[in-house]
Amino acid sequence: MSLDLTVPLGLAWFAAIGLAFFDGRRAWAGWAAVAALATTLLGTVAVAVDVAHSGPRSVVAGGWPTTIGITLEADALGLTFALLSLSVLLVALTYEVVAGVQARGFPALVLAMATGLLGLCLTADLFNFYVFFEIAMVSAYVLTGYGDRPHQLRAATIFLIVNLLGSVLFLIAIAALYHLTGTLDMEQLAIRIPIVQTNPAILSATLIFVAFGIKLGLFPFHFWLAAVYTGTRPAVAAILSGALVNIGSYGLLRIGGGLLPRELEQGAPVLFALGAASILYGGLQAISCGDPREVLAYSSIGQAGYILVCLAIGGEAGYAAAVLFAVTNAINKTLLFLVVPLRGPWVAAAVTVGAASVAGIPPAAGFFGKAAVFRSTVADGNPAILTLLVAGSALSFIYMFQMVGRQDWATGDGVGPIWSDSHLPATRIIAGGVAVVVIGLGLWPEPLLVLSDAAATALIGRLP
Amino acid sequence: MSPSSRYQVDAAQSRIDPSVTTVLTQTVARLLLVPIFMVALAILVKGYADVGDGFSAGVVAALGVLLQDVAFGYRAIGRLTIVRLAPYGALAGALIALGVTFVPVLTGEPLLRHRPGAGEPVAHLGALELITPVLFDIGVFLVVFGFAVGVIGMIARMHPRPIGPSRGTGATGGDEG
Amino acid sequence: MTLLFAVAVAILFGSGAYLLLKHDLVRVVIGMVLISNAANLFIISAGLSRGQAPIYPLADGEPVSDPLVQAMTLTAIVISFGVAALLLALVYRVYTSHLSLDLDELAEADERDEAVRDLATLTGRQR
Repeated sequence: MSLDLTVPLGLAWFAAIGLAFFDGRRAWAGWAAVAALATTLLGTVAVAVDVAHSGPRSVVAGGWPTTIGITLEADALGLTFALLSLSVLLVALTYEVVAGVQARGFPALVLAMATGLLGLCLTADLFNFYVFFEIAMVSAYVLTGYGDRPHQLRAATIFLIVNLLGSVLFLIAIAALYHLTGTLDMEQLAIRIPIVQTNPAILSATLIFVAFGIKLGLFPFHFWLAAVYTGTRPAVAAILSGALVNIGSYGLLRIGGGLLPRELEQGAPVLFALGAASILYGGLQAISCGDPREVLAYSSIGQAGYILVCLAIGGEAGYAAAVLFAVTNAINKTLLFLVVPLRGPWVAAAVTVGAASVAGIPPAAGFFGKAAVFRSTVADGNPAILTLLVAGSALSFIYMFQMVGRQDWATGDGVGPIWSDSHLPATRIIAGGVAVVVIGLGLWPEPLLVLSDAAATALIGRLP
Repeated sequence: MSPSSRYQVDAAQSRIDPSVTTVLTQTVARLLLVPIFMVALAILVKGYADVGDGFSAGVVAALGVLLQDVAFGYRAIGRLTIVRLAPYGALAGALIALGVTFVPVLTGEPLLRHRPGAGEPVAHLGALELITPVLFDIGVFLVVFGFAVGVIGMIARMHPRPIGPSRGTGATGGDEG
Repeated sequence: MTLLFAVAVAILFGSGAYLLLKHDLVRVVIGMVLISNAANLFIISAGLSRGQAPIYPLADGEPVSDPLVQAMTLTAIVISFGVAALLLALVYRVYTSHLSLDLDELAEADERDEAVRDLATLTGRQR
């Protein structure tokens, strides 16, 4: 008996609405949310195991015929990002529940975001993609204001307006694609796009790229990122940089790589240029920053550039590298944002692990992410890009260890000089657990490698 | 006049004073409330054979409440039970709609499979067909009505006041779509 | 008809973009609402087709207008309605905490905060 792929989605959704009735600051509500999210994650794992054994599964809402009804499909790519997002959300939610939730809606909002991200990864319908995307984004808008301090409200306002603009552009692109092809089903779209005229297709592809570029925080669309990441609480910053950013990478892979490969190939020079700009800009800005949160925020901009470069290289190797890098990067950022406000000897070790992972130093998982990017670039044979990646890596090495060296992480009673009142020993244990995962994935990267290869195969295999 | 002071409206002026709206407006608003709800109900149940659905019914019903707000001011409508319970109504509606969506999954069918299916005999209550889409639309109606009334209430309460911790309302209601 | 829709979408989007560049948050919000509605109108215009209403029973032989764009627009309207309410609530809270909605003044507050934070980082390093 295999688990229906919509069960985890329904579970998260019910829990999100149900918990909205109650005050999330009460401990039981927080732990109920943790339990619901953990169950959702387990359910998704069950679906993933099933998909790994017997191939992608799909279900059409209402039992309609495939081309008429709305399809939900679970394949390796979607499930990889679903598992990643749910795990990051679970860690961040547990961290915040342990530290003490300060706003009524926090647990319900995290579950709503889990619903949005899970639905986004499971849907095979472009408009449904937009709907789930908005569910996740609306929860993110509210979460950025979490804490209610003046600077958080300012950051949330910028975040909301910029990302709302991105959503509207995405909506316009969906309408344009519907007008061009007469369908919203991704499978049908992939078949019909090649016969569409070049110019309108390029225009839609550009709009989609801008929309996801904003989510990912790519170079010309990065301006909201630093203010938001430094403004919010650690758990929210981890959610934004570890879970929400997946919308950008997954969307670019699924829609760019899966639906518009011809347009992606035509736009490759632009992607290379923007990726290069992101890597250099993010790296240089990060070096010039003193505040660890700012370093991490600008580092995110730089890391987004690597994903873009992988996409521009394309092909199975490029997409696999993009998936692998996106996964390791999300885990790294979750670890670092959670651990930065803490102090203590173990914290110092965890920060070092995170920094090593971002810089791509072996025993940490980040090494395999960077290695995959380098491998696909070498295979592509473009010396300019390779030089750029080396420079980018050097920059990340410098800013990460500058950040480690600037603060005295080991001493103190657990309260960092900045940012946070989350100082319980349990929060250190959670952050330490993520560090162990980073090391563990670095020592035994097989699951990650298999997963990213399967994801890239699923993406390529979908093309007509 | 500095840009910031443009929004410094006197608290007394910012709220529509009951004495500003005439007896005529108030009487009409009161008389119209029940007919508006009737129209909303008609739109809700007609949606299966004609134009209409839970969403438009919710909007129409919320307009009825908005009319009361304009005529009597927020304080008066704030006493209405329906306005106080609106956010919970929205959540309950979301639960109903989700229930209709996901209960078929429990029995091994695809989500959103409605009962009775196409071609099967349907029980009638007057002209209304008793099918699960009606229940789904009632959920949608509650979500839209509750959310809209909640937002009307929230905006109506937004009169300038001294700086202080502001309570977040409407924040939980934004995640339906 | 197509031209009419195109012009309407262009005007809505243009006015929205113009308001978005203003220094006043309320205007920015209104601009955002206009842009969302330009997108909604654009969806409608993506499926312009004349025909009878797509409600069962249908008369034979006559074309049916595209119901999908209507459904999509309705969903998009609901979403933009919810987000607009959220945006207004957020702007209101910005106002209650800053007593200003001028983007220049908010940027100044940002700079002040940044200075305080830099100081904290410096002292943290000296410790």
